[in-house]
Amino acid sequence: MIVGRRRSIGKLVVTPFLIALLLISVFALVFVRSQIVKLEYRLGELEKKKTLCLRERKVLFAEKTSQLSFARLEASSQSQDGFVLPDRLKVVQIGKHTRSMPSHASFKEKQLAEP
Amino acid sequence: MRTGRAVILHTAVVFGFLIVAYRLTDLMLFDHERLARRAQQQHTAVEDVQVRRGIIFDRMGRELALNLDLESLYCDPKTFAPSWETIRMLAPLVDREPQKMLSRIPDEGRFVWIKRKLPPETADKVRALNIEGLGFVTEAKRFYPKGDLASHVIGFVGIDNQPLEGIELQYDKYLGAKGGKVFRERDASGRTLSSGISAEAKGNNIVLTIDEVLQRIVEKELDRALEQWRAAAATAVMMDPYSGGILALANRPAYDPNAGGSAPGFEKRNRAITDCYEPGSVFKIVIGVGSLEEKLVTPNSLFDVSRGGIEVGGKVIRDVHKYGVITFKEVIQKSSNVGSIMAGMRLGKENIYRYAKLLGIGEKTGIDLPGEVSGWIPKPEHWSGTSLGAIPIGQEVAVTPLQIVRAYAAIANGGYLVRPHIVSEVLSPDRKTLASFRDGERRAVLSAKTAETFKEILKSVTEDGGTARSASVDGNLVAGKTGTAQMIDPRTKRYSKDKYVSSFVGFVPADNPRIAMIVVVYEPKGQIYGGVVAAPVFREIARQALSYLNVPREDVPGKQALLAWR
Repeated sequence: MIVGRRRSIGKLVVTPFLIALLLISVFALVFVRSQIVKLEYRLGELEKKKTLCLRERKVLFAEKTSQLSFARLEASSQSQDGFVLPDRLKVVQIGKHTRSMPSHASFKEKQLAEP
Repeated sequence: MRTGRAVILHTAVVFGFLIVAYRLTDLMLFDHERLARRAQQQHTAVEDVQVRRGIIFDRMGRELALNLDLESLYCDPKTFAPSWETIRMLAPLVDREPQKMLSRIPDEGRFVWIKRKLPPETADKVRALNIEGLGFVTEAKRFYPKGDLASHVIGFVGIDNQPLEGIELQYDKYLGAKGGKVFRERDASGRTLSSGISAEAKGNNIVLTIDEVLQRIVEKELDRALEQWRAAAATAVMMDPYSGGILALANRPAYDPNAGGSAPGFEKRNRAITDCYEPGSVFKIVIGVGSLEEKLVTPNSLFDVSRGGIEVGGKVIRDVHKYGVITFKEVIQKSSNVGSIMAGMRLGKENIYRYAKLLGIGEKTGIDLPGEVSGWIPKPEHWSGTSLGAIPIGQEVAVTPLQIVRAYAAIANGGYLVRPHIVSEVLSPDRKTLASFRDGERRAVLSAKTAETFKEILKSVTEDGGTARSASVDGNLVAGKTGTAQMIDPRTKRYSKDKYVSSFVGFVPADNPRIAMIVVVYEPKGQIYGGVVAAPVFREIARQALSYLNVPREDVPGKQALLAWR
C-alpha cells in the first residue's frame, strides 16, 4: 500500500520535472542559438563599421603622407617658419665627428649612410 | 452523433497530416536540389575580394604609392526612374551633363556604371539624394601622395588598377594580388552575418633605391634649368657608383600619376632610358680610357692641335678655340675635338668600338624599368669615311643618359661596370623580405690604374682651364665631362643649327665618390654649351645632395666634424 503510494508520488513529481527539464533544455538551446545569431548580426554590423573606419584611416593616412612630402615641408618651413635646409657651408666644425659613412668609398661597405 | 463527429475530425486530422507529409516528401526528396539551390542563393551574399596593390616606398620607407578605398556609383536601369529634377541634382555631382548621363543608361540590364571612384564627400552627397536604383561599390584607387615626384619611375595604373607604366608595370607580379569571392550569410532583409573572413587581398610592397629628398632636389633644379634656358626638356640621373642603385631619376616635363591617363605622351616619356641622343663630348671617355688602357698615350702625351681643325673623309672638324700644342690631359680638359680625333685615329676603329661596348654603349643597362632602349653604335665594318672623325667626338652614335652615367660610374668605382637598379627590396604585406637586389652585379671593364688616371683627368675639367669650372662644388672635388651635341632636325635629316643637347656627367667627391650623376638639357635657348647650361645644374644638385647625405667637406683640415648652425 505504502509502496504504491510512493510510486504514484514519484510519478507525479518526476514526470513533470523531466518534461519541464526537456522543455527548458529545448528553450535553452533555442535561446543560445538565437543569441549566437544575434551576435553574428552585431559582428556583421561591427565589421561594416570597421570597414568604414579603415576606409577613413586610409584617407587620413594618404593626407598625412601628402602633407609630409619633402616638397611641402620645404615650402612651408621656408616661407612660414623660417627654417633652412642643412647647408655644409654654414656648418661650424666644433669637434670630432661621429662616423656616419665609410671613410673611403668602396665596394666593401655601403656607400650611403641613412641621413 | 459524437462518434460521427469524431470520425470526421480524425479523418480531417489524418488527411491534413497526409497533405503535410506529401508536401514534405516533395520538398525534401523530389524537388530538393532546386529548392536547396534557391535557398542557398537567398541566404548567401557573394562579395568580391577587394584587391589592394602593394605600397611603394622610397629607400627611407616613405610612401610613394598607396591605396584609397573609394565608392563607385552604379545604376540598376530596371529600378532607376528618377525625376528630371533629381537628374539635374545628380549630374553635377558626377561631372556629367544631365542629358549625356541619361543617354548612357540603357533600357535593359541590371548594372551600369555612373561614375567610378568618387571622392568620399561626393559619395556622401549622392547618398543623401536617396535615389532609388542607384548603388555603391567600394573599389581601391591607387593614390600617389607626392604628386608628380618620381612619376617616371613609379608609373601609374588605369581605372581598373591595371599597370600602365614604370614600377607599377615592371613589378606588377609582386604588387598585384589575386582576387576571388567571399560568401557571407544574409537574412531576408539583406543584413549580413559575420563570416570572420577578410575580404581583402594585399599585394607585396616594393622598396625603391630612390630617395624622396634627393629626387626632390633633382626635380627642383631641373625645373629651374628648364625655366632659365627655356629648354624643351631635361633629364637627370643620380646613381650610387658602387652599387648601381638609382638615387634619383627625373625628367622634365613630368606629369601627375594621379591623372596619368590624361597626361600627354611627351610628358610620360622616361627620357633617361627611352630616348637616345648623340652624346657629344661626354663620349670622349671611350677615346680617353681606350688610349690609356692600350698605353697609346699618357696624360702628358702631346698633341698638336694648333691648326684648330682636322679633315676626316673630306669633312673638316674644328675646335671652338685654337689651343696650340696641348697634352692629352688638356685634350679632355678643354674638350678638344681635334685632339680627340687624333687620339681616336691612333686607337683605331676596332678598339673604339670595343671600348664603347666595354663601357656599355649600344646595350641595355638592364635597369628594372620598362621601355629601356639599347642605343646604337655602328660596327667598325659599317663605318663611313667620316665616322672616324665623328664617333670620337660623340657623333654618329646614340646613347641614353643612363648609359653615360653608368660608364662614368666605372671610372668612379675603379673600373667596374655596375648594373643600375631601382628596386632594392620586395616585402610581403607583413613586411618580411621576399626578394632583394643582389649586390655585386658588376663587370670589371678597365684596369684600376686606367680608371684612376682618367679620374685625375676628369678632375681637371672642373678646375681652372677646364670646360666645367661651373660644376665645381665648394668643399669637394668634382670629376666630370661636359657635352654639347647638335640635334638632328627631323625635317631635313641634317644637324640642326639651333637645336642642341647640353650635358654634364660626373661624380663627387672625386676621390671618394658617393654620387655619380648626369644632367642633360634638351634644346636650351640662349646658351648651348654643357659647361654653361648643364654643369651649374650639376653643381646645385651636388651641393644640396652632399649636405643631405652628410658627406664631409674635404677642404677642412683635421678630423671632420659636426656641426652647429651659424
